[in-house]
Amino acid sequence: MSSEQLFSTLLASEIRGELLVLFHRNPGLIDNLDGVARRIRRTASLIRADVKALVDLGILIQKKIGGSVGIRLDSQGDKEIPESVPTRIRTINVGGEK
Amino acid sequence: MGTGASDMNQLVAGKIRDGGRVKTGIPAFDEMLHGGFMEGDSVMLAGSAGSGKTTLALQYLVNGTTRYNDRGVYLTFEQLPDQIYRDALGFGWDLKKLEEEGRIQLICTSPDLMLDADAGDGLLRDTIKEFQPQRIVVDSLSHFGMYVPENNLRKEVYRLIMAFKTKRISSILLWETSQIMGNTLSISDAGLSFLVDSIILLKPVEIESSMRRLLGILKMRGSDHDKRLREFEITSHGIEIQNPFTNYEGILTGSPRRSQIEAAANSWSMAFEGAKQKHAK
Repeated sequence: MSSEQLFSTLLASEIRGELLVLFHRNPGLIDNLDGVARRIRRTASLIRADVKALVDLGILIQKKIGGSVGIRLDSQGDKEIPESVPTRIRTINVGGEK
Repeated sequence: MGTGASDMNQLVAGKIRDGGRVKTGIPAFDEMLHGGFMEGDSVMLAGSAGSGKTTLALQYLVNGTTRYNDRGVYLTFEQLPDQIYRDALGFGWDLKKLEEEGRIQLICTSPDLMLDADAGDGLLRDTIKEFQPQRIVVDSLSHFGMYVPENNLRKEVYRLIMAFKTKRISSILLWETSQIMGNTLSISDAGLSFLVDSIILLKPVEIESSMRRLLGILKMRGSDHDKRLREFEITSHGIEIQNPFTNYEGILTGSPRRSQIEAAANSWSMAFEGAKQKHAK
């Protein structure tokens, strides 16, 4: 997949874009679905499919922690993505943020 | 992670040399603590919003790794790491670089993930096992408390503290007091003061129509410490401890006044000055 195609897939939905920005800016974030949703002012049911899509792409990882599932950036999978993609993502403004 | 035999020897030697004290790296503060916090102790850092808690906690971690070779974890429930990186950089602390070097780790999570008994223990256990920190900061217990029924908070905080203590990790637990001014000697209503080994209070005070900042050690289990209330400033490179508020009384009550000795000395001084001027005429 070319970096342009990958970029389009990653940003196929607004929520996916918001999740990418959130996790790239905050690589130390590890949270459950509710916690992640709260941080982008959405609900768990609304972000579930996009989280799964990013997990399938190898950008996010779901890790079983005790009885819960924590979601975090997959730093290994993320490294395999061309540098141009995260660089472009970091420069995107979300919700009027400067 | 840089924990070769020589690093380990250096670390052990450092601990023995310092008598098991964990230095903050702020010289005047370490003097107040008679050398630093006791190793493995849990310290409550209490203060109102904007009192300097986060700055002091970050400085403790950054100094810990850059001066004493201690790895540190910053566990935040409130601020996103992005904001913490930015604020820290304002003091010249490049947390991202320290993270890349494996010396500091920022973890941002929700209290409800921590409160899932298995998950919370798992998250901490994994972090401690993988990163092996000597210092940890929890920002904040107050935010953590918002997710816990009041009668369970003490139990949950005890669980958290014990998770650190069993691994000899020195922890700083931030606690936001509600009142900015006035009498805030009641640190927490949940009985948390009894669980922690030390309590440090940061408080803004108004003296002669100026806002000043106060730092006091309210409790330090198993060690003597400086009982005086000290003024501090937040400078471009972090917290700087200044002189004690020796000329004032009642600062913690929110109604500071010049001490009687100071007032008497002033009266004598004014009287003497008056007499001198009269005599000169």
